[in-house]
Parts: sequence; structure tokens; C-alpha cells
Amino acid sequence: MMNKKADVLVIGAGLSGLMAAAKAVEQGKKVLLVAKGMGALGLSSGCIDLWGYDIDQPDQVCSRPLQEIDKLIQVNPHHPYARVRDVLEESLDFFRKICAENGSPYLENEGGNWLLPTALGTMRPTYLVPASMAVKSLEEADKILVVGFKGLKDFYPDVLVANLQRNAELKPSCKLEPVLVEVGSEELKPAALAHRLERGEIIDKIVQQVKPLLSPGAVVLFPPVLGSSGGAGMAGRLADELGCPVYEVSNIPPALPGDRLQKTLLHHLKTRGVEVIIGSTVTTAHLEGNRCVKVTVRCLSGTMTISARVFVLATGSFLGGGLEADIEGIKESIFNLPVQIGAEEWSVQEFLDLKGQPFNKFGIAVNDHLQPVDESGQVLVKNLMVTGANLAGCNYPIEKCGNGVALATGYKAGKLVEVVHGE
Amino acid sequence: MTDKAQVVIIGGGATGTGILRDLALRGISAVLVEQGDLAHGTSSRFHGLLHSGGRYAVKDKEAARECIEENLILCRIAPSCIEPIGGLFVEMQGDDPEYTEKWVSACAEAGINAEETDVQEVLKSNPALSSNITRAFKVPDCAVDGFRILWGNVNSARKHGAKVITYSKVTKIHQENGSVTGVELLNKLTGEKKTIECEMVVNAAGAWAGEVAAMVGLEVNVIKDKGTLLAFNHRMMNKIVNRLRPPGDGDIFVPHGTITILGTTSQTVDSADANKPERQEVLDLLKIGKEMVPEIENFRLVRAFAGVRPLYQPGSSATGRSVSRGFALLDHQQMDGLNGFVSIVGGKFTTFRLMAERTADLVAEKLAVDAPCRTAQEPLTDPVPEELLKRGKKVFGIPGAKKAAERLGDDFARVIEEAEQNAEKRQVFCECEMVSRAEIDFVARDEDCHTLGDIRRKTRMGMGTCQGTFCGYRTLGALNKYEKFARSHREYLSVFLQKRWKGIRPVLWGQQLREAQLALGIYCSLFGMERMK
Repeated sequence: MMNKKADVLVIGAGLSGLMAAAKAVEQGKKVLLVAKGMGALGLSSGCIDLWGYDIDQPDQVCSRPLQEIDKLIQVNPHHPYARVRDVLEESLDFFRKICAENGSPYLENEGGNWLLPTALGTMRPTYLVPASMAVKSLEEADKILVVGFKGLKDFYPDVLVANLQRNAELKPSCKLEPVLVEVGSEELKPAALAHRLERGEIIDKIVQQVKPLLSPGAVVLFPPVLGSSGGAGMAGRLADELGCPVYEVSNIPPALPGDRLQKTLLHHLKTRGVEVIIGSTVTTAHLEGNRCVKVTVRCLSGTMTISARVFVLATGSFLGGGLEADIEGIKESIFNLPVQIGAEEWSVQEFLDLKGQPFNKFGIAVNDHLQPVDESGQVLVKNLMVTGANLAGCNYPIEKCGNGVALATGYKAGKLVEVVHGE
Repeated sequence: MTDKAQVVIIGGGATGTGILRDLALRGISAVLVEQGDLAHGTSSRFHGLLHSGGRYAVKDKEAARECIEENLILCRIAPSCIEPIGGLFVEMQGDDPEYTEKWVSACAEAGINAEETDVQEVLKSNPALSSNITRAFKVPDCAVDGFRILWGNVNSARKHGAKVITYSKVTKIHQENGSVTGVELLNKLTGEKKTIECEMVVNAAGAWAGEVAAMVGLEVNVIKDKGTLLAFNHRMMNKIVNRLRPPGDGDIFVPHGTITILGTTSQTVDSADANKPERQEVLDLLKIGKEMVPEIENFRLVRAFAGVRPLYQPGSSATGRSVSRGFALLDHQQMDGLNGFVSIVGGKFTTFRLMAERTADLVAEKLAVDAPCRTAQEPLTDPVPEELLKRGKKVFGIPGAKKAAERLGDDFARVIEEAEQNAEKRQVFCECEMVSRAEIDFVARDEDCHTLGDIRRKTRMGMGTCQGTFCGYRTLGALNKYEKFARSHREYLSVFLQKRWKGIRPVLWGQQLREAQLALGIYCSLFGMERMK
């Protein structure tokens, strides 16, 4: 059986795993990342949500997310942010630096939230956004043109327009117009459309159909299909050709922005010499005392073991496969760590309850070093750190903090590899 | 607004629509009034089992005989709504062998062809079944699509001039000199009021029949009996499987296409609307189901659902003309001295046509119309022509075309035409049930369609593993151009998702929990819909 060795083994290829690997390798560690699949990052908006709404006024978009997180930690000391508040700003800086170096800059909005339109026509608060999605001053637009493609499923300009009118603050005189452009093919998939754009095949066609509809002060919104890699390249090119701002809005999967972010970070890891093994499942952890020495991995060619000094568990929640639920209960799949459920029911009656569904908060409890702990605070596995959606205590869909928690906890795990190993 | 008809039928389930068709075929003018969407009640909340009668053979011979007769009639008149896959009755270790013998002779007496078959053969072709089966018998059970039968009734009735009014509640039944003269309706969507003058009112409101009778001051004693069922995302076996023992909870599995339904429980409830499945009921069903399918936990549960059976029990004051123990036709002129008011209560889906026939016979007699029942002979749906299926395959692919043809029947041609003319409409909006944009578009235009739920019942959109997460959003894309869908998208979508959630919550583990997390990721994280205006 093959046996691999590393200083740090990161399990999971979502945002927190990628961040942990990036930060660990920066400190000169030999890092290996293994993952069952591509994780849930590709399903996300590709933006970094930090904190969406005021804690006291849950309908009010939060204007200073970092300050609101300070408040959150006061009222909810079990939130994952409480474990990483010390590194939150530096983790965001680190993330932005990596993305910018790899040609996919992420923009912040002067310390506040962006409020960005979605394909459903709602407005969504988020903190860091790829340049192609950074819609500025929609409220000043004289015209909003929403462009869809004939044959592209899952993006309906008239739906976006109908709801944007109800959900966004716009100039009373602002005109909204939906349009479907035709680029030739019958059924279009986002990835295929992005490639055809990048090959330059259909830009003229789009410009020809869109340009006559523009007027001064217009803003153009597209589905998130403008190019397969990060950066504002394609949106920028269309903006130049059309002579007005062009943006992408977030949409249901398969959408490209989450995908692009994953590609950007994977590319970064590759350039730094991190070995990435996708499509292999860690099945068992081998412990000696309260330290993990190696894990067994099932891959296409059979099984192998990977030994490491420090392990990072970044396998996600139910969706990512890090937690598994059956009729009896919930377990963490690899280390069999206790999953914190609390006394709550798993779910509540209203699907879209403003307090969120309790099961999203289920996960692993950790200390300030992100080591898993039992109820009394005793560390369960000393050289293991747990990150991202594996963690207990955060209701990310409602709080709008999923990628923020993943980014900061992943970063901190990467930063602490030396400390945790020494313990 | 005032309308006129000879007969107003209250209740848009299988029985009500069956009566509507029967009367229409006899040339009697009739309007059916339904408080919600057609089939929203018990007629869509059952196993989807067309009984052979085997289940009732020992306990209720008359009901058993009615079942087998109706089973054969429906197979003849509505083949496109029925999968004649056959059923098995299995005796298991510990079951009473004497009951089996009793059952065999009871089937013979009722005219049900129950043929013993080799247990090893049964296990070979149905490997999910337990090896504790000791004896097995084949019976002519069928899987039936309740929705399709019901719309078959309605389409056929409409062709013969009948009318259907949905989302309208009867608020008053007018009487003059001891005779019914009309009904007053309140449209639940628009708030509009309407009166229909009529000579007779037929109360076919199922679990709501007691409430309808109370409007004219009469008592019809309907016991509301909730039955919970489970839908699995697998075809667990190739035949319907019944436990061969006195009928009890959780002892029938019915495969439909790629899914399987297991049920049911039985519990008396206070309200006809008490159709919320509970987690404990799910656990109870799984426990009983496990005896027949030992690996039941390994099959993915999609959702639980519940219906309220209307069981009729003659009250102390009522002396109903009990047609059989299965159902009862109440002539309130004879019983209570109210002319022109008739209730049809009890019964089961399999015998809906017979119930309708008996009711329509009585109505015709009272209206002095001399026309025989034709519903046992006239085909309910026309088979889809081969040529049309070929064209369908070109635009929807083979499985998509087949499913659409089954669902759409006579309307298939129009949907194909739209897809042929507009490539965009060939998009598959619901991948689980293979529903095209053309079909959703077409159904959305239907005058009875007012919500995503209505579209779901007519197309099966949202009934697969994603439970509407993707197709619910997509359907908005088809609705926006129709003026009648003028309410907010938030309302359409949140009501739809909430109804789906009701069935997911009691089975929230395994893959369905992952699915729910994805759904919340989409609607909250990506769309912020919880705060949408």
C-alpha cells in the first residue's frame, strides 16, 4: 500500500481547506490536500459574505460587518467567529492578496457591505466580491438592462426585472428592461457559453443586440457566465464595447463565480507546491493517544495512507459530506468527533424562518486553536484543527457568513500548524 | 354574477369529477365547485393503488367484489392512467396460516384471481423483499395515477359541456319550500361572490362532507381518518406487495415508475385539513415496512405525505340507504325531507366510478332524465397516436416524450407543436420528472392553474428528489408573461417551498437533509429570499 507523508494534511477542497493549505504552505510546510469531491464552494455565490444584517434589526442591512461581528461575539460567544476574531482582518487581507496575485481581484466596499442584485431580483449583502460582480450605485442608474440568453436555462430577465423593482432602491425614473439575446445555439450551458465568449465567437452578436437598447446612464446586468476564469476580463471587455458598466449577478448552481474562485485558489496552491488529490475519500483516522498519526484514503487505484504532523478537517457540513445524518443521529464521518446538536429540534416549521433552520448550526465544537473539544472543553485530538462548515454554531444561510467563516477559520488553521504541532 | 345549471357538485376529488363526467355523458348540465385545486385532497394523498379487492376479501366481500369489477373497468377505459403491474400478497413467518386459507377461498368467492406462486421466484425478481416470506399469491392489483384519472374525468366532462370552478368555497346553500335552489360561492383568490341556481346539489366533499351537510342543517357523520404514507426514490420491487394478514398499518408497497409508496397509518383526526405527516408516523411505518423489506433504511426517502380518509358511519338519527359497507349514497329527500340534496360518502378511490354511477342514477331519476350510465364503456382517455409519440421523441427525447404523453393525453399534440416551433421550450424544467418548459407553459395557461402547486399537480414538476428547489425557480420564468399570475413571486415561491417542506421535515436525514441544506443555500444564501419583498 502506498504511504504518503506531509507536514500538514488538509482534508477538503472547499474554501476553508484551500485557505488552510495556502496559509500553511506560506510558512514553508509540506502541505497535502485531499478531497472526496470539489466541495460546496462551486455551489456558492463566489462572493465572501461576512455578516449580512444588524443583530438588533434583522431587516436592516449591516453597514459595518466587522463591528457587527464584535457585537455578535458578545451575545453569542459560541459562534465560530469568536474563535477567529483575532485573525479576521489579516485573513481577509491574505485572501485578497492571493486572489489579486492570481488575476482575480476581490473588491471591498470601503469597509461596508455591498448590496448586490441576484438573478431572482433580490438584493444580497456581501463583503468581498469579484470585480465582475461589484455593482456600484444601482440607485443612480437611469436604465437597467437585464440581458439573458435564448436557450440558457436558469436565468430569466423578466423575473429579475419584476422583483428588482420591488426589492431595490432605484431612481423613480429608472427604466428596467429585460432582453433575451440570441447567440445561435439551442440549449446553452453556463460553462459552454463562457468558453464561446472567451473564444470571441459571440461578442459581436451580443453587442449588436444589446447596444441599440442602451441610453445614457444605463447599467447592464448579465447572468454569471462572462468567462470561465476570474478577473473582470470579459465583463470589462463587454463594458468597453457597450460603453457602459457591465456586471454579473449571482445565480443558482451551476454558476461560474464559485467555480472560478475554487480554480483561482487551486492554481495558487499548485504554484506553491501543494500536492492536491481530488476524488479520494479519507475513510479512517488512526490515532495514537490523542494524536492522529495517519489516515487511510480510498482512491481509484485502491487505498493508501497519509501520515502528517498536523491535520485540518475541512470536509463541510451535510452538503459537503463532512457530517452524515441517519434516523438515529448525526456523526462526523472521519474522526467520529461528537457533533453538537443541542436540545433543539433539527428543523422548524417555517422553511424560510428568519431564525434559520437549526440543522445548519450543527457541527463540531472547537477551542481558540480550532482543536475539537468535548463538552468540558477537553481537547479530543491534539494535532487536528476543524474549519468551515464543519464547525458548530453558525447559521450561515440566514446570517450571510458562510464563506467569511470558512475563509477566516481556514486561514487560522493554516497559521496555527506550528503551534498545534508543538502542543 | 349568477349562473344556472341543473346540478351543482361540491367537491373536486375522484368522486366529484366522476359524477361530473357521468352526468355530462347523460346530457345533464352540471357545475363542479371545488374549494382548492382539483385533487388537492384525499384523491391525491393515497397509495396510488387500484385494488384487486384482495385486501377486503375476508372482511368485506361486497367491497372486494366492487373493487375487482371496477379494477377491470378502469383498466379498460383508462389504460394510460394505469400500470397493470400486478400485485403480490405475501404471508410471512409468524403470520397466521389459517388466515391465508380463509383469504384464498374468500378471493375465489369474490371473483378475484389469486394464484399461488413460487416464493423463490418472487425473491429472485424482487431481491429487496425479505426471505422470511412463506407463501406468495399473485393478484391483479395495479398502480394508478390518481391525478390523471381525475383530469381524465374533467376533460371528458368538459367536452360534454360540464363546468368546473376551482378555488371557490360554497358559503351558502339556498333553499325554498323544502327544496334546494342554488349555491353561493366565494372565490378564495379574488374575493368575488357568485350564485349558481340549480335544481340539485350533490355533496361529494369527501372528508369535508359533514361540513357541507351542516350548511343545510343536516348531520352526515364522516369519520376523518388520517393516513400517512412514504415516498421512496427507488423502484424497490416490481409488483405491488401486500402483507397477507388482516389489513393493518404500513403493509402495502406500491411501485410507481421510479418511486415506491409505502403506507399507511390510520388515526382519527378532528379536521379534514389535518394532513401533516409526523416524524413518529414515519418511524412507525419504517418499522413495519422493515419486516417486508429488511434494508428499508438504505432506500432514500423523498418525503412523507398524509391524506384524510372520509369513513362513513351512519349516525343514530340517520338511516342511510347503505349501498355497501364501502360507501353510502344518502338521499336527503327520503331521509330528511330536503328535496334536491344528495350526499355520497365513504368509499375508496378504486370504486369512485361506481359511486359516481350510483349517484348519477339517483340524480337522473329525480330529474326525470332517462339516460343510462356510459362511464363504464366510454374510454376516459384516448391513446396517444404513434406518429405523435415519434414527433414528441424528437423534441423531448424518448423518456421525456413518453412521460409527457402519459401526463398530457389529448393535449400532448399542442405541447409538441409549441416545442417544435420554439426550441427554448424544449428545455427540461424538472429533470426528475422530465417536465419540459413547453408543458409547464401550457399547463400554466390552464384556467384552473393559479399557483405553482396547481402546476405541480398537473405536471409532477417538483415531485422528485430536489422537491422543487430548481424547478420551482425555473417555473417563475415561465409564469411572468401571464397576467393572471399577478401576485408576487415571493408569494408563489414561498408557498410552494413551504408545502414541499411539510413533507420533507418528517424525513429529514440522509440525502434529504443534504438536499434541504442545498435548498436553503440557494434560497437564503444566494437569493436572500427570507427577506424578499
